[in-house]
Amino acid sequence: MTGNRIPRAAPGRRAAPRLSAGAHRTSLPRYAARRLALGFAQVVAVTALVFALTEALPGDAAVVLAGDAPDPARIERIREELGLDRPAPARYADWLLGLLHGDLGASLTAGRPVTGFLADAAGPTVQLAAVTLLLLVPLAVAAGVVAALREGRLLDRTLTAAGVALYSVPEFALAVVLVALFALRLGWFPPTAVGVGTNLFAQPAVLVLPLLALLARPICSISRLVRAGMVDALGSEYVRHARRLGLSGRRVTLAHALPNAVAPAAQQLARTTDWLLGGVITVEAVFVIPGLGTSLMSAVSARDIPVIQGLALVFAVTTVVVNLLADVVAFRLAPRAGGTA
Amino acid sequence: MRPVPRWALGGTLLGVPLVIALAGPWFAGEPSPRGVSFGSGSLLGTDFVGRDVWEQVLVGGRTVVLVALTATILAFLVGTPLGVLAAMTRRRWLDELLMRPLDLLLAIPSLLLLILLAAAAPPGPPALTVIVAVISLPEVARISRAAALEIAARPAMEAMWLQGEGWWRRAIGYVGRSMLRTLLADLGVRAVGALYLVATASFLGVGVPPDAGDWAVMVDRNRAGMFLQPWAVVVPALLLVGLSVGLNLLFDGVRGHRGEAGVRAIPASFAHPDFLHQSRRARTQKGRAA
Repeated sequence: MTGNRIPRAAPGRRAAPRLSAGAHRTSLPRYAARRLALGFAQVVAVTALVFALTEALPGDAAVVLAGDAPDPARIERIREELGLDRPAPARYADWLLGLLHGDLGASLTAGRPVTGFLADAAGPTVQLAAVTLLLLVPLAVAAGVVAALREGRLLDRTLTAAGVALYSVPEFALAVVLVALFALRLGWFPPTAVGVGTNLFAQPAVLVLPLLALLARPICSISRLVRAGMVDALGSEYVRHARRLGLSGRRVTLAHALPNAVAPAAQQLARTTDWLLGGVITVEAVFVIPGLGTSLMSAVSARDIPVIQGLALVFAVTTVVVNLLADVVAFRLAPRAGGTA
Repeated sequence: MRPVPRWALGGTLLGVPLVIALAGPWFAGEPSPRGVSFGSGSLLGTDFVGRDVWEQVLVGGRTVVLVALTATILAFLVGTPLGVLAAMTRRRWLDELLMRPLDLLLAIPSLLLLILLAAAAPPGPPALTVIVAVISLPEVARISRAAALEIAARPAMEAMWLQGEGWWRRAIGYVGRSMLRTLLADLGVRAVGALYLVATASFLGVGVPPDAGDWAVMVDRNRAGMFLQPWAVVVPALLLVGLSVGLNLLFDGVRGHRGEAGVRAIPASFAHPDFLHQSRRARTQKGRAA
């Protein structure tokens, strides 16, 4: 095991930089700049990969558009109109050029600009994701801290076991069980978001079950990391020293132990955006929410390549940006543990 | 939770769905004639096209479990040699060539990648297996590389090299064997992840035929009749929940049992997406080894 590189294993070393920040070798701006360049390369590579993948999809939008009576001549004409007969690299270059002007092309099936399409679908998804994140961070940190303060007691054991258990339950399975129980049996919340439209806040009750399904996994993983970090921090030399100096218990816990415990969790939070994006796709399917996930599923089945490209770009940029921010935050919170530099 | 209840709970939760999944098809017998959609005559009623739900439950678990398991094994069979090779090579470009494309795959949300790959491939269990293996591959290779890197820098490796032991003896006999524990601990995480991906893909209808007898597909197809006949949705969903909860509880117990500190921290630290440090680490490690 690479024990010396796992932040958990060296709580004492993580404590030091907080007392003498700036002593580390790589400065924050340089680190951030390097991460930014890397993130940019990742986004470009992801779009190229997605383009190559969509090329491999069997059939194309022309076949779908030709409808029930696919006449080869008609398909050929549609293909020419849409520019699908040009070589793929040329189309990719065009797409990149368009991207520089903020133009993602037009949907093949609906004819609308992809940007407008994305803007419409983004509403419900952003609402869902924002509320999830707003609830996720405080709840997960609180659960982790409480479990760490009660280490080994019943509350800790219950929270830990529940966390392990729920850690990887597929959102759709959890969601339908929640619907069966709370919507059908008890009738507390609506079973789907049908008829609510794109503004989910208009009927907040609609959000409750999707949020529960989305929160279950990330809360488990993050609270677990916070707990592990807190347990380490609370048992460390510097916390003992702070206590000896007579600082209040709450101040020791929240101002001295917590920041070190949160650094690894910040990176895990970034990893969970991957889950959240996946979760959003399934949760939108279960609750019939007209968001980005639903558009992705229908664009894939309609072979609407510009829309797939646009959605992939949105998902990739989100993942890369969130990871970048989390790395920078982790670097700032605990320079040596985050940077290893 | 104390070890004993956790083992018992995990075992029961995993055992029931697993037995139904693996042995179910032998007990299903001949499919009974179709009745009305979402009827409630038999044990669990009928589904959206009038098939008996209990028979569907018996038949529908095997693909999910087998695809997830095969995909995990496949990912390890390909990913571990890749990681060991990247860690042990003295040529930096080879290390980069092997690992950078995988880092790129990690930057794509896994479900997005799954949906795109599955749309491009013919539907069916073999294609889904390969796709899920491809998605699990980067993490497996990364963890193998990290574990092998540490072992390859040990003095024992230098001693073996000085004794004139061959590359294969060192790679498989020493590094490979020393990594086994880390890999076993990781196996559980990957299996649970693969199960998640397979079930979610089937639910979304990618990579499976639309009328497949499959728990996740049942959940999706029977949702329309949930008011009339909730069991057709709830039973397969609960079986899937039990499968992943049980698997996780058991593997976590195994991990906790085998030395707490290092192994438990794997997901957090090795899954760290920033490979700038990884290559820097590789450089110093190799400088030390050389």
